[in-house]
Amino acid sequence: MTRSLLGLFLRAFVVLTGTALATFTLLWNAPGDPALAIAMARFDAVVPADVIDLVRAEAGLDAGFWAAFRGWVVPLISGNFGNSSVTGRPVWPDLASATSYTVPLALAGLAIGLAISIPLAVLATRHPGSWLDRFAVGIASLGAAIPAYWLGLLLILLFAVKLAWLPAMGATTPSHVILPALTLGLGVAAALTRIIRSGILEARGQPFMPALKRRGISEHALAREHVGPHAAIPVITVFGLELAFLLEGAVMVEVIFGRPGLGSFLVGAIEARDFPKVQGVVILAALLFVGINLVIDVIYRLIDPRMGTQNA
Amino acid sequence: MTLSVSGLSAVRSGRTILFPTSLEIEPGARIGLVGASGSGKSTLGHALIDTLRAQGSCVAHVPQSPDEALDPLRRMAFHWREAETALGLPHDADRQQALFRALKIETGDLRKRPWGWSRGMQQRFVIAMALIGAPNLLVMDEPTSALDPIVAARTMVLLEDYLAARDTALVLITHDLGLAAGRVTRLLVMNAGRIIEDRPTSELLAAPRTTQAASLCAHRNWLALPC
Repeated sequence: MTRSLLGLFLRAFVVLTGTALATFTLLWNAPGDPALAIAMARFDAVVPADVIDLVRAEAGLDAGFWAAFRGWVVPLISGNFGNSSVTGRPVWPDLASATSYTVPLALAGLAIGLAISIPLAVLATRHPGSWLDRFAVGIASLGAAIPAYWLGLLLILLFAVKLAWLPAMGATTPSHVILPALTLGLGVAAALTRIIRSGILEARGQPFMPALKRRGISEHALAREHVGPHAAIPVITVFGLELAFLLEGAVMVEVIFGRPGLGSFLVGAIEARDFPKVQGVVILAALLFVGINLVIDVIYRLIDPRMGTQNA
Repeated sequence: MTLSVSGLSAVRSGRTILFPTSLEIEPGARIGLVGASGSGKSTLGHALIDTLRAQGSCVAHVPQSPDEALDPLRRMAFHWREAETALGLPHDADRQQALFRALKIETGDLRKRPWGWSRGMQQRFVIAMALIGAPNLLVMDEPTSALDPIVAARTMVLLEDYLAARDTALVLITHDLGLAAGRVTRLLVMNAGRIIEDRPTSELLAAPRTTQAASLCAHRNWLALPC
């Protein structure tokens, strides 16, 4: 267990290092003069060449790739995301406030997705092949085919424009989170329903199930103690991917619903060529992704200790 | 009390795989149920279990391999408790120890999951679990086909020693007449969903009446194989 945990942490470290290096390289080699863009964003006018050089030196762009990379990564290790190259203010407070809008949205979307998919999948698998089962599979396929931006617009049209029940734009009250969360949640529900359904069916088909039934174990105990854990393994895998999709999808949904958050933060930073901000978002996303996967791997090993060993 | 069933039959997707069959099983009987693959042995075994249970008898079942009896995600202790609960019995550590000693698995770590035990020990654990309720009948469906011959023979000897002083009857389903011959006093030969011979073991081995039984007997004599 300790050894495999060590391996997991090593993997997380490699992923994070790779992400940092890749992001930095991409931004460093992006076409156009970043110093000019920063100067334009800062002074909002035509700027003379010596001011551009000044900006370049200040942003650390003249020191060469590795020096600049070190200058960004070393403080990052102690949790310092650096200063915005445009405003000069620290990146972290703005990033934290953007995150505080996005994470609740993603979690609300996940909660909605689970609240729909688990009961639907359990009902569907009660009688595989029944009309309810086909209905659930149909809804899930439909949900997976509908893009979030279109679903978001439809929801706005129905609940905000026609019925006027819910607000569509902004994030001033808690009710503002409902429509965007629903947009995300329905997408998640579609994917999870199919996985949970097939997970349950596959678990029921395990070779030991008939003998357990013949032993006299009740249907309820079978479902809770045997089908559940076996069905959970594929579901947990997809769950991790869904969380990553949620953070990604949240960015798009935030733009549709005019919410502040990582989406608008990232778009603004890219437009202003604010490298430290862009890098900050990417590293934060990578950290979340790696963290989620780490937790999932640990849960895996708790459910089935054969994972990650020769027995698997 | 003699266990008796009549009119056991089974139809799967329109095809009769077990024709109406009646059977009487004396307490402590040792019965072998042999026949080729697909002759209806397991179907008869399952029908026997369901019908006798419906009559109120305690019937236990041991499947072919421990893979078909144990959930790999659950600890051995959990399986044991679950089997006790299924029989409506409270946990009894003494009964557990007695069965573990009888089948020589008292060294097994119950906190481990099935794959943490050897297959031979797993199968003996499954047999011990089947004996929890002191059943009237134990139906074993090819109980040793997943084990090598030496471990298989030892397992059967341990089980016989345990059952010797008890009333539990045993139905041993197998296609290996060699395993059954020395252990059962009565042999049932099945073919195409019917019991075609039902005679004491020694008689049947000495003079099989049907060709199916003859080919099963001949199988033991490698020089006189029918094909």
